[in-house]
Amino acid sequence: MTADTLTDRLHVQGVRHHSPACARLVADRIEALRPAAVLIEGPADFNDRLDELALEHELPVAIYSYASTDLAVRRSWTPLCDYSPEWAALTEGRRIGADVRFIDLPAWHDAFSGIENRYSDAERRYTDATDRLCRAFAVDNTDALWDHLVEIADTDRLEARLDQYFDIIRGEGEDAVDASASDTAREAHMAAWIRAALAEHDGPVLVVCGGFHAPALRRLAATGTAEPPEIPSPPEGTEVGGFLVPYSFKRLDSFGGYQSGMPSPEYYQQLWEQGPGPAAASLVQRITMRLRSKGIHVSTSDLIGARSLTDGLARLRGHHRPGRTDLLDGLASALISDDLEQPLPWTRRGTLTPGTHPVVVEMTAALTGGRVGRLHPATPAPPLVADAQAELERLGLDKDGDLRLDLVKPRDLERSRALHCLRLLALPGVSRNSGPAAGADVTAEEHWTLRPHTDRLPSLIEAGALGATLGDAAQTVLEQRLDGADDLNALAGLLFDAALCGRAHLTDSIGTAVEAAVADSGDVAAVGRALGAALALWRHDHLFGTAGSDLYAAVITACCDRVLWLVEGLHAAPGPADLGRLQALCALRDAVRHAPDLAPTAEWVTRSADRIALDPQAPPDLRGAALGLAWTFGAPTDAAAAAEGAASPDRLGDWLSGLFAVAREEVIAEEQGVVAAVDDLVGALTEDEFLVALPALRQAFGMFPPRERGQIAERIVSARGGGDAYALTARLDVDPLTTAAAMALEARVDAVLEREHLHFGGES
Amino acid sequence: MSDTTTAEPRLQRPPAERRYADELAKLAAEDDAPRPPGWALSLQAARTFVVGDESRGITRKFVGDPSLIDRALVTLATNRGLMLVGEPGTAKSLLSELIAAAVSGDSTLTIQGGASTTEDQIAYSWNYSLLVSEGPTQRALVPAPLLQGMAEGRVVRFEEITRCPLEVQDSLLSPLSDRVLAVPELEGDSMVFAREGFNIIATANTRDRGVNEMSAALKRRFNFETVFPIADFDTELDLVEHEAANALARSGVPVPPSRDVLAVLVKVFRDLRSGDTQGRPQAVMSTAEAVSVAHAVGIKAWYLRGGEAEAGDIVDCMAGAAAKDSAEDLARLRRYLEQKAPQRKGPHWASLYQARNLLPG
Repeated sequence: MTADTLTDRLHVQGVRHHSPACARLVADRIEALRPAAVLIEGPADFNDRLDELALEHELPVAIYSYASTDLAVRRSWTPLCDYSPEWAALTEGRRIGADVRFIDLPAWHDAFSGIENRYSDAERRYTDATDRLCRAFAVDNTDALWDHLVEIADTDRLEARLDQYFDIIRGEGEDAVDASASDTAREAHMAAWIRAALAEHDGPVLVVCGGFHAPALRRLAATGTAEPPEIPSPPEGTEVGGFLVPYSFKRLDSFGGYQSGMPSPEYYQQLWEQGPGPAAASLVQRITMRLRSKGIHVSTSDLIGARSLTDGLARLRGHHRPGRTDLLDGLASALISDDLEQPLPWTRRGTLTPGTHPVVVEMTAALTGGRVGRLHPATPAPPLVADAQAELERLGLDKDGDLRLDLVKPRDLERSRALHCLRLLALPGVSRNSGPAAGADVTAEEHWTLRPHTDRLPSLIEAGALGATLGDAAQTVLEQRLDGADDLNALAGLLFDAALCGRAHLTDSIGTAVEAAVADSGDVAAVGRALGAALALWRHDHLFGTAGSDLYAAVITACCDRVLWLVEGLHAAPGPADLGRLQALCALRDAVRHAPDLAPTAEWVTRSADRIALDPQAPPDLRGAALGLAWTFGAPTDAAAAAEGAASPDRLGDWLSGLFAVAREEVIAEEQGVVAAVDDLVGALTEDEFLVALPALRQAFGMFPPRERGQIAERIVSARGGGDAYALTARLDVDPLTTAAAMALEARVDAVLEREHLHFGGES
Repeated sequence: MSDTTTAEPRLQRPPAERRYADELAKLAAEDDAPRPPGWALSLQAARTFVVGDESRGITRKFVGDPSLIDRALVTLATNRGLMLVGEPGTAKSLLSELIAAAVSGDSTLTIQGGASTTEDQIAYSWNYSLLVSEGPTQRALVPAPLLQGMAEGRVVRFEEITRCPLEVQDSLLSPLSDRVLAVPELEGDSMVFAREGFNIIATANTRDRGVNEMSAALKRRFNFETVFPIADFDTELDLVEHEAANALARSGVPVPPSRDVLAVLVKVFRDLRSGDTQGRPQAVMSTAEAVSVAHAVGIKAWYLRGGEAEAGDIVDCMAGAAAKDSAEDLARLRRYLEQKAPQRKGPHWASLYQARNLLPG
């Protein structure tokens, strides 16, 4: 084929995914060109099911693709909305009777490793050129640049402008971007389809692809064989598939979603439906209504101020009509009379950061919109429905009634896992009555009740968007919840859920979510609890098969770091011992001992502990615990001398609580030492001081189990010249009437405190 | 700037309109966009002056979001004042100086706010010998920046406005809303009406907030713009490298710290700045502060050791420059050095970690 005929017949339209201007351009070009074939960047393994896609769905919808092996599942979405250029190509191409085809590699291919959204911007991976362009046009980021150059610019010569833009991004000659291996593989595959289509058809061929690929596809289409490429088959042992699922604007929005493309889908929907002027008006209206409904005051004069700022900004930036950022900038300037803690999100890219001004949060939410797609009823049911039903039948769970499972038996464990998956999917009529509550729990018996419920099938169909099998769907739920889990207590629960479902594998998104949650937490006790839970599951749990799991290993590492960081900065006035933070240090101690590869070294922890033990601003219980921590790691420690340093009656007990909580065994193993020192100290207290010190001392010695308390008593008695040690720890014989009177008095005091609102909060 | 004009003594720091006189003249000559009344440049040209344009030989003077400059300039063209807020050291004052130079061609009408600032220093005062001999006449009137800016139609800068007492701040109310200032002592023409081109750029530290929180009435007459620390690591590193080299050259040090050492320094600053509330020091961890630490590091290495700076030098320079006298901040810095530094790879981080014991206290 000569180059001339090629340029005549091959038309490659580079687009930005989810761009209304590009969608309009694609529709116009199809109308003008009447191409024989329309080739679209999309999963080629979905080609035989394009009819399904052509049903009258309410958009956004997505093609969900999965590839699951025994170990893990990889998922990816190909989202389509009304203003997707790919959707315009599909519908318009079919309307004129062209041969419409997806030409990209299947989503399970290694080229998509780590990519969850096929239509995220490829150029985000190559930012040099876009950075230069942003600088040259004096805009903040590529979204603003794109609006400036494409969405709200004049439409004449748009095609040429797009080509020029993408040529600059891809670069030429020495500036050419070195595409990654995965992009190269995808482009080779797409080019092969293009050559095959050119050979097969006589008429024009239109290719609609991400703009980053367009220059390469033009080049690659000129050389090579014209054989249609073979769609690669998945590796042995990997099950792959794809089906349509409803999608939502919330997931489409890059402010909220993971790896998405253009931000503010509701704005672009309006831009698509009504054009820039009405879209701007409806945007202002939406934001105003939303802010007012949230009780944020927006006056008419604010709106007038915003309007004049917006007009001024549009004029300064050379826009004939205000664009998205002109509007947002104008509104933000007019409505916010405060300093901001976080930059305006549209000046950056990516998700909203904590601390974003509430007005700004509502503004971006108004632009995201709440649109949720719906599939046409004739769309085939997602594979999850069949998989779940077959699985339940296989495991004998398709009957109703009470169920007792013994988790030691492999079949019962499998049944339990399936039921936990159903529980996570919130399927009605499945409830767990009892069972293990944490890793290394002593019980291995679970009780469930299954009841018939009319909503069970509809719920299962809805859950079809989450995955193709029960396990995959449950994993999606876990990941989504982890992503939203801002507090660590919820995280600890979710990690145990993962074990119950047999899904305790580390995936990228789970790892990121755990790290973020741990890094955000300022609560030592919560981090400690998560550490304890993860450590138990990682060390012991052969029941659920989670011992040595990489997921819990990652949690342990993150938590150890965080505990150490938090406790070293913890400054507080002397106060009652806080059991939560003491347990966190115990968990750290156990992690250093039993998971040395995951936790910081004992030497390192000891150094930190030494500093805390000597820090006069740290609370006494923490100082005691830190001393204990250093001691348990074998650091030379003189606990008796340290006890004398903490001898004031209002903190001795708290200091000892810390020490005993962490280094109980070391204290008991000592012949004399701390206990003798404490005995001397207590002996030197006056009556009043003793009463002050007593409650905390009592709590401190409560850390020892009765047998060890007995040993301590014996030692003290023998040190004092003998006597009856038993009498020291025996329960006192008290007249029940006295006890009852004391309890009545306490109840009255409690009632008075309650009435005067003087009651202190629950746990501590 | 040329040094050939020997008639003028060299200034330590000439105002922006003199430092960049060539660029301003060039922009004004090429400016064909409409200018708001009273402005020396159009909005487009003013923006180019601040964010720079390599192809036209205009340097980039402010590192930050271009949209911030857009919003600031448009605000000044409306009837509201511009309030730049942000952490100390985020170049708010530089930005206000540049904008004033671009808009009015003059950045010297400046009021420096402080606890002892009075209305005299803002609006006007009197030449008392003339006042006694002639009474309150125009001749005896000594205009302060606000009166001058209004009478001449220029931008007035009010630095650190929240450090002034509330009643002093509120003297801006009628100049901002009614665009008029009364001089009741003068007989006859006692009202000074603002000419076109007059507006106010105020700056305030978020750290000083609460010292003299602004009244709601005054807040309403300003549009707020928050200036943030530089978001991008490489950009900040470039800036620190450039500024530190300049500062060291002025101090006679020919060898600035290597980029790797500065990378460690900038990373430490960014980590501490973005840390959680516990880890974040009270002291300002701004880019300007990083430059001054880099300056100190270079000086120490050159004059005390006669060699190139090492990452270890950062530690004691930071103790003095960044942590100041706060024991809490020293503890935070120590915790960072003990716990985070050893987790990072590379010889410079190792050298930083080794030097941790140089922290005082």
